[in-house]
Amino acid sequence: MKKLSVWLLPALTALLIVGCAGQKGPAEQAVASAESALASVHDLAQKYAPEQLGAVEAQLQSARDSLAQGDYKGVLAAAPALSAAISGLKDAATAKQADAEAALAKAKDAWGPISTDVPKMVDAIQSRVDILSKSHHLPKGVTKDTLASAKSGLDAMKSAWSDASNAATSGDFTTAMSKAQAVKDQATQIMQSLGMSSS
Amino acid sequence: MADEKTPATADNPYTQIYTVQSGDTLSKIAQKYYGDASLYPKIFQANRDQLSDPNRISPGQKLRIP
Repeated sequence: MKKLSVWLLPALTALLIVGCAGQKGPAEQAVASAESALASVHDLAQKYAPEQLGAVEAQLQSARDSLAQGDYKGVLAAAPALSAAISGLKDAATAKQADAEAALAKAKDAWGPISTDVPKMVDAIQSRVDILSKSHHLPKGVTKDTLASAKSGLDAMKSAWSDASNAATSGDFTTAMSKAQAVKDQATQIMQSLGMSSS
Repeated sequence: MADEKTPATADNPYTQIYTVQSGDTLSKIAQKYYGDASLYPKIFQANRDQLSDPNRISPGQKLRIP
């Protein structure tokens, strides 16, 4: 009995060391696979799902830390969740990319008509403002403040329209449309204030 | 492009349009839209493609009000 117990503890210890060493390879492989998978979606995720990317990177770093500490069992236990997170990240980023591209295509289609409309609205307003500025009195419903507001509004619209046009020229139709619609809305408001509806 | 008889406002869909009523004159229309009857030439010039005499307008005519 004494002979057995003398050898039992060292034998069990050796088994434990061998067992842990046996998990090192798979754990290293698991981390390497996760790093490779994340690298392949990194740029897409950075652009379309940056917050989710941050969370997955934190998960990966945790696995790296566990590996460095020799917690191979922990790495292997966390590997499935990490793999699922990376897969989910790819799906989310891909979906958001598709949405963004659809929105861009829609904005590009809408740019044509509005890029014709808005300059003509501005021209019409400019013409009216120029004439009213020569008037000895103002028409009913139009005050000095209304006219002054229309003049400053014209300056603001021209500046904003320049920004919208520049955005369209650079291909950013989403920004261009957002700015263009704001100008159109302002032009509509000014035309109403000047009594410019047709009858 | 605008010429002598086709003013620049002719192809602007946002130029205000007024339908002439019985008894209207360009001066009255200018008074209404500009607050100043003496500005009637602005309306005449904007409608040279359909007006040859500022004193002759007809009910139903659709005039551009620049």
